[in-house]
Amino acid sequence: MAIRAIIALVLWEVVGRLGLVAGGALPAPSAIAIRFWADRGDYPMHVWATMQGAGIGFLIGNLVAVLAGVLFAVSPVAARLARGVNIAIFALPAIAIAPILTLMTTGMTPRVILAALGCYFVTMTATVTGITQTDARMRDVVRAYGGGRMASLRLVELRSAVPQILGALRIAAPAAVLGSILAEFGGGGRFGLGAYLIGSLGRADPARLWGIGLAATLLAGIGYAVFAVIAQRMTASTVAVTVAATPPAGEVDGPVWQRIALAAGSVLLPFALWWALIAASGAPAMIAKTPMALLDYLMLPNKAGERIWDALAQTLPITAVGIALGLGFAFALALGSVLRPGIVRAFMPVALVTQTMPLVALTPLLVLIFGRGPSVILWITVSVTFFPAFVTMAQGLQMVARSALDVPRAYGASAWTVLRLVSIPASAPYVFAALRLAVPRALLGVMTAEWLATGTGLGNLLNQSRGYLDYGMIWTVAVLSVLLSVFFYQVVVWIERRVLARLGMTTAA
Amino acid sequence: MPVGLSLSGVSRHFDGRGGRVAALSDVSLEVAPGAFTALIGPSGCGKSTLLRLAVGLDLPDAGRVSVGGLSPAEAARKGLTGIAFQDAALLPWRSVEDNIALPFDVLRRPHDRARIADLIALVGLSGFEKSLPGELSGGMRQRVAIARALVNSPEMLFLDEPFGALDQILRRQMNVELQRIWMESRTTTLLVTHGIDEAIFLADRVVVMAARPGRIARVIDIPFPRPRRAELFGTPEFAALEAEIAGALDGH
Repeated sequence: MAIRAIIALVLWEVVGRLGLVAGGALPAPSAIAIRFWADRGDYPMHVWATMQGAGIGFLIGNLVAVLAGVLFAVSPVAARLARGVNIAIFALPAIAIAPILTLMTTGMTPRVILAALGCYFVTMTATVTGITQTDARMRDVVRAYGGGRMASLRLVELRSAVPQILGALRIAAPAAVLGSILAEFGGGGRFGLGAYLIGSLGRADPARLWGIGLAATLLAGIGYAVFAVIAQRMTASTVAVTVAATPPAGEVDGPVWQRIALAAGSVLLPFALWWALIAASGAPAMIAKTPMALLDYLMLPNKAGERIWDALAQTLPITAVGIALGLGFAFALALGSVLRPGIVRAFMPVALVTQTMPLVALTPLLVLIFGRGPSVILWITVSVTFFPAFVTMAQGLQMVARSALDVPRAYGASAWTVLRLVSIPASAPYVFAALRLAVPRALLGVMTAEWLATGTGLGNLLNQSRGYLDYGMIWTVAVLSVLLSVFFYQVVVWIERRVLARLGMTTAA
Repeated sequence: MPVGLSLSGVSRHFDGRGGRVAALSDVSLEVAPGAFTALIGPSGCGKSTLLRLAVGLDLPDAGRVSVGGLSPAEAARKGLTGIAFQDAALLPWRSVEDNIALPFDVLRRPHDRARIADLIALVGLSGFEKSLPGELSGGMRQRVAIARALVNSPEMLFLDEPFGALDQILRRQMNVELQRIWMESRTTTLLVTHGIDEAIFLADRVVVMAARPGRIARVIDIPFPRPRRAELFGTPEFAALEAEIAGALDGH
């Protein structure tokens, strides 16, 4: 392991020294280290600023997430009502709302909010899962002594959810760093690693960009490691590192009208919250657009619709291609690992390390290597979708019972036949889980790349509108990208339900 | 003062895919204060359902259940009952003494440290006060569960297959110990089991249940004087009672 790392480092040094990648876009490690040393005075304030945004957001986001998780675990009605909000938070491409947050709030607040949003979903779902999966016999002991739901929560359920919650905090820590950096991309501010990265993008200094990128990765990795160690200390077993992509279902058995009312409430609640937040903020109507004001804006004869269509026509196809490529590679590699278990052993550590990296925040590095053409968008999209998809699918395929694989083998089936008969059908729930995970990430990756590099599509429209102070367009693009993300998520869920029902399978995380 | 348990005309059914299942049909049972009663029957005869009703974890569709004249839930809130489940059901993050103290936390009573220490000694776990359940053997965990069931000095003790997960050798040892512990407290006890020998060895009365619908088939009195010794398992009288109960289980 150490030898391989050294070989890789030496190779990197040689490649960097000879300027083999994109005319020197990949500098040698020694060059990065030298640049880092020269810049050492700049780093503390940038790192501190990002840490502050990410740290406060992490605290607030996880606190809200645990409280919400407890509420959803106790009350299925609340879980059902909040489903729309939960999916919206899961699916929203953070970069899209960064400009709005910068308009509506000041200072650290946009970073804190995006960091908190990045933490919320994963910790909330883990809390719900942890509480609802509490050993029923432990609950019975408390109830047998006359303890009610509160006593059961206090004495048993919250504590037994701790391993799940700690598992989620590991993933939330890098997400908070990413959230803070995306807010810095989208909202200026002088300090912060994201601001530093953007500020340095214009100068032709690859070594500095790499230094900042590595610093951001290190910061996220430390956050991950801290909670990994705590989780390890508190629990003997570790929780699998897959990211949840399913909000709590909140199955409510009631009359049809009640279920319809809850479904409608769940759709309306995000819009009501939007309205309420604007009313509460007291921001001027010109800047803060309510849902109605946005409809008015779209009615104006300003060709807004046309520009949006053009942007969509650029963004959506490449997003779809990126998802298809990322998932396709992940699927092929995961299936390959059934035939050659060595693939998982060699590749899983790399894939797991990427879970601790703020991948989208490294967009400027990819711009350096692949230039500002459409290929950079594909690279980013593939990289943000491939790794989580591979982890989800490979871990899912490993759960297929040995005996299920052995039956066709016992009848002399070839490896390919085993794949066709057992592994591929068994992977269906994980393919869908990976797809649900990939859709919002791909859109985030594409929009970030468009914003920072290519000057096309929705991301660029957002960036331009920011420059023109076209508030209506900023809001429109933000809302539209969230709606699109939720829409595609729901389409996946819809297909998934039908396919899995036909196969007699249940949804994976 | 030990209290009695009374079930009169109790029915409980569950609706499943295959239609309605009568888990209990018109069951009446009186357990006198201070008596040790064993409940035995094939799986699906409703003995666990009966216990859940008596503890207040479930409510009957018809009939009445009372513990010392109170509803089971009231009795539980007053701290009159103690319970030990199959598989111990200990909280893995609590030490032995804190697990034993759990009923105090639920009942919102102060921890009686002396009582907990006495019980730990009684079940033979001195020196393991600070151990976590994961560090104990199956038999030790089960003793913790018994100590927990006794910690609030209950008037009515429910034991739901407390040794079901143990092997035969360990079970015999635990049976002897349970009798010793019970003779010190003389609490009214209802033991649910599927071990015929365990039921005869421990109980004053064995209630044999039958399935579909769940009902009481026979009640057999056990005449052996106490304390009963392990040698009792090998006597012809013991074997005769075993045969009688086995016959009753087969529907004779």
